[in-house]
Amino acid sequence: MLQDYSAAVAQPTLTAGPPRYDEVVAPDGSLRPAWKALAGAAIGLTREELQRISGDVVRFLSDDGVRYSRPGESPSWWRLDPVPIVVSAEEWAPLEVGLAQRTELLNAILVDLYGPQTLLSSRVIPPELVFGHAGFLRELRGGPVDQHPLLVSASDVTRTATGDWQVLADRTGAPSGIGYAMENRRVISRVVPELYRGAGLHRVAPFFQAVRAAMIDAAPGEASDPRVVLLSPGPQSETAYDQAFVASSLGFPLVQGSDLVVRDGIVWMRAFGRLERVDVIVRRVDASYTDPLELRGDSHLGVTGLVEAVRRGTVRVVNGLGSGVVENLGLAPFLARACEVLLDEPLRLPSIRSYWLGDPDELEQVRPRLEELTVRTIDRTDPTGALEGDDLLRRVEAEPHRFVAQERPHHSQAPALGPFGVQPEPVVIRTFTVRHGSAYRTLLGGLGSIMETGRVPRSKDVWVLKARPDEPDQRLLEVLPMTNVRAPAAMVPRVLEDMFWFGRYAERAEDTLRLVISAHGLAQDFRSRPWSAGGQTLRVLTRKLRDLSPSPFEEDAFDDELRSLLLDPFRPGSVAQSVASLRDAAQAVRDQLSPDVWRVFGAIDRAAGTLADSALSHQVTDTAGRMLTAISALHGVCDSMMRDDGWRMIMVGRAVERCQQVVRLLDGTVTERRGIDVDRDVLTTVLMVAESAVTHRRRYRGYVRPAGVVELLMFDADNPRSISFNVDRAAELLRALPASTGSTRPERLLADLQGELASLELASLVVIEGERRPHLEQAVATVRGLLSRFADAVLEVHLASAPTPRSFDLTRPTREVAP
Amino acid sequence: MRYRVRHTTTYTYDEDVSDSYGIAHVTPRELPWQHVGQHDVTVDPGATDQWATSDHYGNTRTYFQVDQPHRVLQVEAVSDVEVLTEVRDEEADAQPWEACRPAGRRDVVDAWSATELVLRSELVPHAPLAHAYGAESLRPGRPLVEAAMDLMHRIHTDFTYEQGASTVTSTIDDLFEARAGVCQDFAHLTLACLRSHGLAARYVSGYLATDPPPGKERIVGADASHAWVSLWVPGGTWLALDPTNDQLAGERYVTTAWGRDYADVPPVKGVIYSEAKTSLLDVEVDVAPV
Repeated sequence: MLQDYSAAVAQPTLTAGPPRYDEVVAPDGSLRPAWKALAGAAIGLTREELQRISGDVVRFLSDDGVRYSRPGESPSWWRLDPVPIVVSAEEWAPLEVGLAQRTELLNAILVDLYGPQTLLSSRVIPPELVFGHAGFLRELRGGPVDQHPLLVSASDVTRTATGDWQVLADRTGAPSGIGYAMENRRVISRVVPELYRGAGLHRVAPFFQAVRAAMIDAAPGEASDPRVVLLSPGPQSETAYDQAFVASSLGFPLVQGSDLVVRDGIVWMRAFGRLERVDVIVRRVDASYTDPLELRGDSHLGVTGLVEAVRRGTVRVVNGLGSGVVENLGLAPFLARACEVLLDEPLRLPSIRSYWLGDPDELEQVRPRLEELTVRTIDRTDPTGALEGDDLLRRVEAEPHRFVAQERPHHSQAPALGPFGVQPEPVVIRTFTVRHGSAYRTLLGGLGSIMETGRVPRSKDVWVLKARPDEPDQRLLEVLPMTNVRAPAAMVPRVLEDMFWFGRYAERAEDTLRLVISAHGLAQDFRSRPWSAGGQTLRVLTRKLRDLSPSPFEEDAFDDELRSLLLDPFRPGSVAQSVASLRDAAQAVRDQLSPDVWRVFGAIDRAAGTLADSALSHQVTDTAGRMLTAISALHGVCDSMMRDDGWRMIMVGRAVERCQQVVRLLDGTVTERRGIDVDRDVLTTVLMVAESAVTHRRRYRGYVRPAGVVELLMFDADNPRSISFNVDRAAELLRALPASTGSTRPERLLADLQGELASLELASLVVIEGERRPHLEQAVATVRGLLSRFADAVLEVHLASAPTPRSFDLTRPTREVAP
Repeated sequence: MRYRVRHTTTYTYDEDVSDSYGIAHVTPRELPWQHVGQHDVTVDPGATDQWATSDHYGNTRTYFQVDQPHRVLQVEAVSDVEVLTEVRDEEADAQPWEACRPAGRRDVVDAWSATELVLRSELVPHAPLAHAYGAESLRPGRPLVEAAMDLMHRIHTDFTYEQGASTVTSTIDDLFEARAGVCQDFAHLTLACLRSHGLAARYVSGYLATDPPPGKERIVGADASHAWVSLWVPGGTWLALDPTNDQLAGERYVTTAWGRDYADVPPVKGVIYSEAKTSLLDVEVDVAPV
């Protein structure tokens, strides 16, 4: 790999200007010290070997369910290049020192801006730069000032042509990415173990322990066992994976705004039937969305009254609300001065050269060069990011204080695997710095990305080598290892609701898969013989499919219909839709679930991928079968769960869905009479779809009669697929829930169901009138109605999530009208 | 003048509200020309939590939470206030208006904080129409107060006071279209004209004491909350202009709160949890001389 790469680096480049700093090869062609140490292990990495490793990376990421969404797009897989960025201790040192100072400085600036504002009155920072920034939250001013609003910050850094570090941007509001960095390390250490072991690099885990300690120490007051929660915007968030990873690694429950409530100026978590006090909120929600009372009134992601609780100091938000104001791109030119004023030392780590256009002299100076610079608004509120074109100057001149012009960064380059082997690609590293004791410590590692436009960027692991082999990881000695860190179950109603849907969608996907497999089998055999019993059975089953997912199911497009039932997430009733909803539900409670759940999705996705790539008809059954195996594995994963309320809700969801599937299946099949051969085929298919064929054969010796089928699927207390079995099961599960009294609405409805089932007589159900079995039809309709009322009642009684915050003025926005 | 101000805000809903969280800016400010005596804010039904703090602009912000079911929420503020006549510095008032932009007055000690009130805000953009309209009063070299009074007079003349002509979401451009509005609109419009020329001005929320018609008794509750603007004058004062009534805000004006625009200091705002479909707002203000 290294020879290939050296050759690629030596090629003349087309880009103008000085060559990029190369992370591996020095200008004289020799290897940089960090890579010299790795050269032995790297030699084995041929292009073929790297391609194989790259495949492993994709599989690991899919098994771990690592996803990322670009803003406004649906989620796609996280991407990771197999070749790490490797930096020696010596090269990393100035960055580490610089970032610790920078974070200290940004923290001090925040304390001043939300306190005395001497930086503004003395004009060290122009007042317009702060007052005109969307991240400056006036609501947080006026009270006592948080002295450490910045507990964790992230900075995107790169290197100049001479190898000097520089900062492109700071993330101080709700920095993301550290979970991805940890996951990258986990994957890379598995796929290139020889390289990893030989490198003598800093493991990243101890840094996480420092982060955890910082969060716990942030609790206000004297709480002996502070409760820390991670506030997420929900599973639709761009970095939902990152949030869930951080929450479960740190052992903090993942919550959403509706899980929390403010009473008496204190934040509480709505645990089942009681409120638990919250001391620290690690927020991943943008500050302006955290409180509909005082910040954005249209936010449904926040906690009403949170700002007041913060003001009173009863809860600590991390990073502090309003910390985003120092992400301000226009601050760069003023940091050196602020550093001297606040810390009494020179700024160590420069930002990319930036010009704040609110300064008339700067504007004049860069005006002729605007096209070659990157012009942005100071708070990046411009949706397109960088502005360009003819109206740029006009917009700048209308509000110069809102704009900053940056020199284009000169990224360093590092090897990345492409279709033609390893090639140099420009890279950026996201670094993470945490408050540790009385100072700041920077992660010896980071989240690398290759600068590409237009798609989810390829990330890279970042290895920082130890100066001496005996150096402790992260040079952190005093941090205690995290033993037994497991997120305490946050059994808030929203979590239980997601668990309920998790159970339902898993079952729904499974049932649909069985239907597809049976339909495909029949179509293979009998499509060309529509008059045969099998052909007529196929028509009956096709009607079921149509009910499930309305579509013509034309004969010549039958395979395509089944394919779309498996693959199209936008098709109502499809397997893909159930799987997508299942994934959403799982994502929302990720901290509560075993990581094995994601392996199941990995397998489903790979099965889907095979079908998408193959035009062969038999692939439909093959893929559906693989998906079915994966979903069955999910039941196995649930078997290993703690028997808590979350598990109970999954099981209740599954029981409801199973019952519904049986009634849907009976309706229009067993309720009707056709010819004797056709009936036999239809009944056999029903048994197969309901996964009861084997039981039936054992019990009735292969003699398929309607009464036997109805008994087995409706009444058999030993058949885990029967309605009776599942109704009893649901009743038993419900009894164990704290909100149950024995007479709650769901419990009463279950009792009604049990009563209804007990009152039915098998002999009368199968009585035929004309072509139909009216008693069975009637029974199916009644049971179906009770089931759907039961499912609604469970949601209402046990899972009622918080209502939506609304403004005092409901009818229309009004205001006091006055002369 | 001494007043007892009673300001009652009542929200009525068609269904139970389980929780109300509110923020009120209803307590008058202590100022060089205004002294506040007894003052009290009462929430009905009784707030389980009520807390007053000072906000970014130095206004009193009252937070409250009601967590018992209710269909009617009432916030009543009663304050005793004394308003004095402000003595103006005529020399400062006569500066050419161009010399009164905070951007050019680093020599003035509070110019840096006045900068905030030059920038556009959510409800007061630097609309080109307002800029052009303001330019007719802000003629080169004109003394600041003379120019500002002229602007106020023109707005009073060109725009009609009319309830229902505007809503909370009306923009400056809408006002130029309708040529009519209420006091908040007049204030926002004046602010847009001044700020788009680089001057600093506040949105002020408060009360105006009104006289009963000749020969009639004062009718309690017939007054209203009011809004006007306050213009930064380099040298330590602000000039309070009431474009709705075309006069300087003198000792009949009780100042409650100020900010960039209405959104910074609505008298009462809040969040409810309810299935209610309609709400009815009723406001009564009484500014009684004592």
